[in-house]
Amino acid sequence: MMYDYFNNLVTGIESTLVAHPEKKSHRKAYALEIARLGRRLYTEDERIAWCGVLAPFDVLNAMSVTSCFVEFVGAMLASTGMVPDFLQEAETRGFAPDTCGYHRAVMGATYKDLMPKPDFCIATSAPCAGGMGVMENIARHFNKKLYVLNIPQEATEESVRYLADQYQEMTDFVTQHTGRPLDREKLREAVTLSNEATAIMEEAYRLAQHVPSPANGKDLANFGVVMALLLGTPAAVEVARAYRDAFAARIERGEAGVPGEKVRLLWIQNRVQFKNEILDLLETENQAAIVCDELNAITWDPIDPDDPFPGIARRAISIPLNGTVKRRVKNLQKMALEHKIHGAVNPCHWGCRQGTGARGMVAEGLKQVGVPVLNLEVDCVDTRNYAPGQIRTRLEAFIEMLTA
Amino acid sequence: MYYLGLDLGSLSCDAVLIDADANIMATSVVPTGAKNREAIARAQREVLELSGVAETDVAATVSTGYGRERVEKKIATVTEITCHGRGMEAMLPGTRVLIDIGGQDSKAIFLDGKGRVLDFAMNDKCAAGTGRFLEAMARALQVDIEELANLDQGAVSNLTLSSMCTVFAESEVVSLIAEGKEVNEIVAGLNRSIASRTLSMVRRVCPDLTGMALAMSGGVAHNQGVVRALSAALGVPVQVPEKPDTVGALGAALIARDRNGK
Repeated sequence: MMYDYFNNLVTGIESTLVAHPEKKSHRKAYALEIARLGRRLYTEDERIAWCGVLAPFDVLNAMSVTSCFVEFVGAMLASTGMVPDFLQEAETRGFAPDTCGYHRAVMGATYKDLMPKPDFCIATSAPCAGGMGVMENIARHFNKKLYVLNIPQEATEESVRYLADQYQEMTDFVTQHTGRPLDREKLREAVTLSNEATAIMEEAYRLAQHVPSPANGKDLANFGVVMALLLGTPAAVEVARAYRDAFAARIERGEAGVPGEKVRLLWIQNRVQFKNEILDLLETENQAAIVCDELNAITWDPIDPDDPFPGIARRAISIPLNGTVKRRVKNLQKMALEHKIHGAVNPCHWGCRQGTGARGMVAEGLKQVGVPVLNLEVDCVDTRNYAPGQIRTRLEAFIEMLTA
Repeated sequence: MYYLGLDLGSLSCDAVLIDADANIMATSVVPTGAKNREAIARAQREVLELSGVAETDVAATVSTGYGRERVEKKIATVTEITCHGRGMEAMLPGTRVLIDIGGQDSKAIFLDGKGRVLDFAMNDKCAAGTGRFLEAMARALQVDIEELANLDQGAVSNLTLSSMCTVFAESEVVSLIAEGKEVNEIVAGLNRSIASRTLSMVRRVCPDLTGMALAMSGGVAHNQGVVRALSAALGVPVQVPEKPDTVGALGAALIARDRNGK
């Protein structure tokens, strides 16, 4: 069923682009690559690894492993409107309804046989302990081996070496399950492609800082997080280039991502993954444009292709949801100032350390640079906990406050 | 010319009519009920009748409250957060922290002292500590909602309710009655529960209340027991305007006047 779904998606987009080349766009390029990844995940002869969010996907791509973080499935089920049955399945099996919706959805999908069987699993100790638990459950469910990457919280010389050594060990683990040894030249090419893609993404984000911004909430939704899955492949470079060129062209034409942009917003952490009216309300009704997302940030330096593991380790350690909240706040402040942000929206994803545990410090930190924060209380995946009227009132009041 | 503000809440529909100089001509508070368009029409009709103003002399209407989109012939919808800030500034000038507890939500709003909103916090998805909560507790205690206002008098035991969930709190109240606890002690405990829940929202928008003028709006502000408990919890007196349930509608009427070029 899922193979057919993704295959239809891929062929649909491809045939549209052949029949109507004028419809080619950065967002279509992105959607096509996601659909292709989804199709590979459900293809019989692929080597599959279910992973934690901070797995080194470029390394896995270099080893010809189709890999994906499990939260991707939660987001996908939410976006297709199928999620309630899977959440209910997880809850029936004992998962508390107020734990993370991404993880409940993934576990429900596992129990209902929707998840493709992996060859092995790679968990990451960051960004969340809940994710670790899910990985362990999935490995147990499929009776597959689990490798755990312990991600240090700070980038000291020792901690970088510690994580880099784990990557080496991880590649041995992958080889044991695929029979394919790590090809250093392929890894070198993959890392070079990662560097190229991230450099172009940075260019796109710099263009998004323009006033009015060529970016909008739809462009940026989930972009950086999903791009991590494509790193190490030419597809990542192509999608990043499509974004950069689209933003540059909009600026050239004098077009804004949100026509009549009045307010510039920063979105903190996850987007709400199911169908909702938030973007319409903000951008169409109120010309309040989301011009940057916290999770899109490039927080690492280019990686040395000849000695990639230390650089990849620094990348994993540097992401905003790892380490202290203080470091996360510093990154948010930088983004807010660079993008000339008027206000920030934090969905405060339920049952999430990053979503709710840090919200006071995040709000205080952004206030220090003159950026008020609206805290919503939303499970970004569980449609059953969503109250559109309450969300509308909060968002409208926030816009009224920013424009008063 | 005259300006109309309509606040369609979950429990009541409130209307305020003002003249071009912002004098209040009439106010009305009617139950929302199941048919909110009828409540809107009734509130609107009442203020026009009370003031003797013809409908054609109403230059502009602004609606607010959860049902604000349901109001017809409006020039704009504005959220209750903005409207309460504006309305309270007209009723109690210089208010810096506004607590609004309505039928299904509660809010703490930090103002700049001129009615402009600087920050706000709202209750989450739970209606604990709102008008609906008090209705349920009055039902459990078998008293009228209005009677709750002074039933806390004479309480000494500092009884606390362990649950803030409306359903669980209702059964807890029933258990306390069965245990023979005095009604005034239970009501004082309920009021402290509401105050405690509201306190965290207030502190979120204004951590330091020193020198801040606090005021309360919304239907629950009629309940003096809750106001007393809030003042005690916050350590600052909480002022209540004469008609606290019309603050939002007044704010809406004033915004209608502003936007109509006055």
